[in-house]
Amino acid sequence: MTITGDAQQRIEFYLGRVRGRLRGVQAEDVRDIVAELRSHIMDKADTSGEVTAAQVDAALAALGSPEELASQYLTDTLLARAEVTRSPLRILQSLFRWASLSVVGFIVLIGSLVGYTLGVSLFLCGLFKPLHPRTAGLWLVPQSAGDFELTLRLGFSNSPPGGREVLGWWILVVGIIGGCGLVLLTTQLTLWCVRRYRRSHALFQQ
Amino acid sequence: MIELSHEQDGSDKWEVQLRKGCLELAILSALWGGRLYGLEILRRLESDSALIVSEGTVYPLLSRLKTLGLVRSEWVESDAGHPRKYYALTPAGKRRVLEMSSIWARFSSSMSKLLAPLGKAK
Repeated sequence: MTITGDAQQRIEFYLGRVRGRLRGVQAEDVRDIVAELRSHIMDKADTSGEVTAAQVDAALAALGSPEELASQYLTDTLLARAEVTRSPLRILQSLFRWASLSVVGFIVLIGSLVGYTLGVSLFLCGLFKPLHPRTAGLWLVPQSAGDFELTLRLGFSNSPPGGREVLGWWILVVGIIGGCGLVLLTTQLTLWCVRRYRRSHALFQQ
Repeated sequence: MIELSHEQDGSDKWEVQLRKGCLELAILSALWGGRLYGLEILRRLESDSALIVSEGTVYPLLSRLKTLGLVRSEWVESDAGHPRKYYALTPAGKRRVLEMSSIWARFSSSMSKLLAPLGKAK
């Protein structure tokens, strides 16, 4: 089998773009993905013992854009990891990579960060209440314009002037149960969004 | 006319969703007879099931099945001059495909009974 210089250049350019978008994925996995794609392209393009630029172009078109392909690898890995571990940290790690590739990924990442941050804050607030009974909790703090601001405080600083604690010792129950619940809910919602995204992308040629 | 095209749209979407739901079973079944590389899997799906799957979908899905421990892979040198990555079912993959196939058989048989009167109406 022979391959023209143009054809080789096109393959390397395409694979370079896929590789660039898989940044953050373990180097060994990226090498494996790229090697498999290269092997596939060569098999598809090699119809008569010679691989030309036109044949390579057709093979690359059938694979789809490098961004879309990398996005599919990232979302599939995310779903597989989630099925195996359900760890919010692993999910977030994959979401950060996905967000760099797609607007949908970015929106899901922001939503997940908000959910996890709020869940962890509630949990910590409940956990710190017995240690800082006078300062930890959910506080309603007056603002200059006559408005009130609701803040979660872990209790490491003094009580806010004029502020009123809303839940009292109930924050222990609400914080720990509500915080865990919010983290679980965020995980479920995130996975639902990823599955929806995967389903909305054509798997079959029309 | 608008109503008609909406109905057509809905029916197309339903068919696509149905096919998508079967893809994992189709890939695992294709590997039942022994190890295959990616392009062979695609060709097997095309020839045996008329499932014409987008190439950019199969490789990430195989990678996912590998992460889940349902398939394993190995690189094998070929006569074509470049190595190919072959996939084979793991014991967990074999159990899973048997389980999925029996669920499919039960489901398909129930649906056939339910749809039988429609066949007579045609």
